[in-house]
Amino acid sequence: MADRGPLSTLARLFRLWRLYARLDLYFVTRSFRTFVVWYVTDMIFGVSAISGMLLLAERFAGIGVWNKEQGLFLLGYAATVTGLLEIFFGFNVAFISRRLGRGQFDHTLIQPQPVWMALLTEGFTPFAGSATLVPGAALLAWAILHLHRTLSPGWLAMLLVSLVASTAIFLAFQYALGSLAFWAPRAAEEINSSSANLMGQLKAFPLDGLRVLLMGGLLTVLPVGFVAWAPCRYLLGLTPGFRAGFATPLAALLLGALAALLFAKGMSHYGRTGSQRYSSFGHRR
Amino acid sequence: MAAAGQIGESPLFLMDYLLRFLRVALLLSIWRLLFAGRGAVSGMTLPALLTYTLIAEAFAEPLLCRTEIVWAFWDGSIATRFLRPMGLFAQFAADAFGRWSVGFAVFSLPLLLCAPLLGVNPLPASLMAGLLFPVSLALSISVGLAMEFIFMALAVLFEGEIYAISRVRQALVVLLSGAFLPLALMPWGLGKIFDWLPFAAMASAPLRIYTGTGRPAWLLATQLGWTLLLWPLASWLWRISRERMVSYGG
Amino acid sequence: MDARARSVIPASDTVVELAGVRKTFRQRQRADSLSGVFRNMLRPAIREVAALQDVSLRIGRGEIVAYAGPNGAGKSTTVKLLAGMLAPDSGTVRALGMDPMRERVRYVREIGVVFGQRTELWWDHSVATSFEWKRVVWDIPRDRYERMAGFVKELLGLDEFFHSLARDLSLGQRMRADLGLALLHEPQILFLDEPTLGLDVLAKRTTLGFIQDLNRERQVTVMVTSHDMSDLEQLAGRIVMIDRGRIAYDGDFTRLRREFADRRVLIIETGEGLPPKLDGAALVRSEGGRHEYAFDAARVNIAALLAQAAEQAQLLDVETHRAPIDDVIADIYEKWQEKSNVGR
Repeated sequence: MADRGPLSTLARLFRLWRLYARLDLYFVTRSFRTFVVWYVTDMIFGVSAISGMLLLAERFAGIGVWNKEQGLFLLGYAATVTGLLEIFFGFNVAFISRRLGRGQFDHTLIQPQPVWMALLTEGFTPFAGSATLVPGAALLAWAILHLHRTLSPGWLAMLLVSLVASTAIFLAFQYALGSLAFWAPRAAEEINSSSANLMGQLKAFPLDGLRVLLMGGLLTVLPVGFVAWAPCRYLLGLTPGFRAGFATPLAALLLGALAALLFAKGMSHYGRTGSQRYSSFGHRR
Repeated sequence: MAAAGQIGESPLFLMDYLLRFLRVALLLSIWRLLFAGRGAVSGMTLPALLTYTLIAEAFAEPLLCRTEIVWAFWDGSIATRFLRPMGLFAQFAADAFGRWSVGFAVFSLPLLLCAPLLGVNPLPASLMAGLLFPVSLALSISVGLAMEFIFMALAVLFEGEIYAISRVRQALVVLLSGAFLPLALMPWGLGKIFDWLPFAAMASAPLRIYTGTGRPAWLLATQLGWTLLLWPLASWLWRISRERMVSYGG
Repeated sequence: MDARARSVIPASDTVVELAGVRKTFRQRQRADSLSGVFRNMLRPAIREVAALQDVSLRIGRGEIVAYAGPNGAGKSTTVKLLAGMLAPDSGTVRALGMDPMRERVRYVREIGVVFGQRTELWWDHSVATSFEWKRVVWDIPRDRYERMAGFVKELLGLDEFFHSLARDLSLGQRMRADLGLALLHEPQILFLDEPTLGLDVLAKRTTLGFIQDLNRERQVTVMVTSHDMSDLEQLAGRIVMIDRGRIAYDGDFTRLRREFADRRVLIIETGEGLPPKLDGAALVRSEGGRHEYAFDAARVNIAALLAQAAEQAQLLDVETHRAPIDDVIADIYEKWQEKSNVGR
C-alpha cells in the first residue's frame, strides 16, 4: 500500500469497513435460524445489561443524587457506548488479549497494511453488533426526550463527540491492559474479560459523593468515570462550563496515547519472542 | 491439574483477581451512596447489603458456576472428552472445582480477611446462617451445574449456536440470579417472582441465608426442588443431543 | 522430466538471504507439584532453546528449496523470520531486497505464506468470500484478481467447493483453498510450512504438481518445509537440512544420499531354504523365499553380494533399488541424535 496521503488512507478505511460490513451481513444471514437466534439472544443480552440499573432507578426513583430521567440518561449513554464498542470493535478486537494470548496476532501481521488499520476495521460488525446498541440507543433517545431541555445542534454535536470519546476511553483501557498478553500470553489471555466486566458493571453508576481519592482513581487509572458519568454530568448541565465538555475527549487522547505506547512496546517484544501458542478458537469466527 | 493450569506461567493471572477486588470495593462505595439516609429496603439494611455484595464476590465462581464446557464445544475438544474413563458431567465439574480452589485461595480468603478494612462485616447473620450456608452453597452449585449442562445441550440442539446460547445464559444469570443485584431491591414485586426461578437458587438463595434476609427453610426447599427437577432434565437433554455433540466437535 | 531438472532453474538473483542469523527462545519450565507451580511463578525456571545458530542461507529466484530437519530443528522459526513475524537476535534477514520486519507492509505484498496447521480462510464464510476479502485487503486490481482466481480454481480444483463454508471443508480441500488464497496476489516468493500435512495421496499429488507448475510457468520461488521427504524429493531440486539450529546440509538429493549413506535395497528370490548370509548387507525381512537386504552402496559392491548369494542358493530373481528417502533421512537424524548424545 503506497503511502498516498490522508485522503487515500480514508478511502481505504471506508473500503475496508464496507468489506467487513458485507462479511458481517453474510454471517448473520447465513440461515434464517442464525439470523433469529443471533438477534434475539443479543437483544436479550442488551436488555439484560441495562435492566438491572433500570430497575434500581425505578425502585429508588433515581440513582443517588440523580433523578430518574437523569439516571436513565446516564444508563442509556453507558449502554450506547457499549453498543458502539460492539459494532466497531467486535470480534475480539476490543478483547485484544484473547487474540494475543491465542497466538492469532500473526494473522494480522501477514496483511499488507499497518496493524492499526487492521484493528480499526476488522471488528466492524454493524449487523451482528447492532442488537446491543439498539436497546441502549433507544433508552438514550427516550431519556433525552424526557429531559425537557433544548436540543441545540451544538449540544447534539457534543453528545456525539462525548460518545466517541467515551468509546475510545473504554477501548484504550482494554488495550492498555490487553497489551500485557504480549509478555504473558497464557496468564493474560482473558484479562480483557475481567477489565470489560469491571467497566461494564460500574459504568452506569453515578460517582457523586465518592471519596476524592477513589474518584480520582476512577478518572485516571480505572477510567470508569469517563465512560458515562463525567460526560453525562456535562451534558446534563451538572458540571457547568464550556471546558468541562472537553474533559472526556482530552482524557481519550491521553489514554489513547498511553495505550498506543504500551501496545507498541508489546509489539516490539513480540517481534523478538513471537508466539509459541496457537489456537484458532474465536479467530475469524 | 486444573488449578495448576489456572495459575499459568506468570503472576499476571492475579490481575484478574485484582480487578475483581477493585470492582467489589467500588460497588460497596456505590451502595453506600445509594443507601445513604435510607433505612431497610425490602428487609435489606445497608450492612446486610454490603455483606451480601462481599460474599457474592467471594463466592462468585461457584455461585455463577461456569465450567470449561463452552470452550470444549467451541474448539471441538468435547469429542476427546468422550474417550476418558469418566462421565462427562463429572469431568467438567472436577475441572471447575480445581479452578475454583485457586480463586478461593488467592482471592476469596484474602477478600474475606480484608472485609473489616472495607467496612464490611464478613460474618454470617447468625450461627444457624453460618451452618446452613454450606448446605445452600452445595445446592446452589448443583443447580448451577445442571443449568450449565442444560444450556449447552440446548446449544447443540440449536445446531451449534454456542456463542448465542452462552450469551443468553450470561444475561439471564446476571439479571435473575441476584449475584449482582439483590432480587429484594427490584421494583414492582419482581424480586418475589424471580425468587421462584432456578437462577435465584444459584445465587440469591445462599446469599440471603448468609445475610439472614430470607427464610432458610423455604430457600433450601426451592433449591432442593430445582435440583431434583433440573438434573433429570439435563441428563435427558444430553442423551438426545449426544451424537450431535461429537459431530459438531468434528 | 525429474524434479532436479524441473526445479533447478538457473538462479538469476538472490531473493532470500540469511546471514549469521541467531535466534534463542526462553521457555518456562513447569513443575509437577502445586507447590512447585507457585514457586515457579515467583522464580521461574527457564530453559533457553537456541532455535537458530549462525544460519546463513541464500535462495535464488526461481528455486524450489526443501527445508528439512527433525522436530524442533528451527524450520518454522526460519519461516517466521522470513515472513516478517519474528526478528533475529543477531544477523541479518533480507528478502527481495527488504528487511521483512522493518518493511513488513511493503514486503508481505510480495510473499505468500501457508502454514499447514493454520488457515487464513474465514471459518463461517465460503471460500469465495475469503477470496473476496483477500482481494480488498491486498488491494488486488479486479482484472488481475479474476485472472489469478480463475488460474488457481482450475489448477487446484476449487470449483467444486468454492461456495462451501470453510468449516465444512475436508483438510485436503482446506489446504488447497489456502494455497489458492496465498497466490491470489501473485507473490514472488511462497513459503509453505507443512503444506501436505494430513493430505491423502491424490490431494498431495495435486498440490505438489501445482507448485511445480507455478514455479515453472511463473518463476515463483518456493521454500517448503515438510516431514514428508518423498514429497520434498519429488518437488525440490535443492534440500537444506537443519539440525539443532545449524545448517547441516545444503545441496541436492543425489549428493545427500551419497554423502550420508547410499542406502540400497536388494531383493533376491531363492525358492525354499534359509536366506543367504551376505557380508556387508543386513537382512530386513524374509518371506516365502523372497529375501530383502539393506546395504550401503558406497561401501559394498552389489556384484560381490550377488556372488555371495549365488554361492549359497539358486537365484531365481533379483531386484535392487534405492532406499526410500525417508529411510535415508531417518538414518541421518539418528546419526545426529547419537552425535548429540555423545556430546553430552
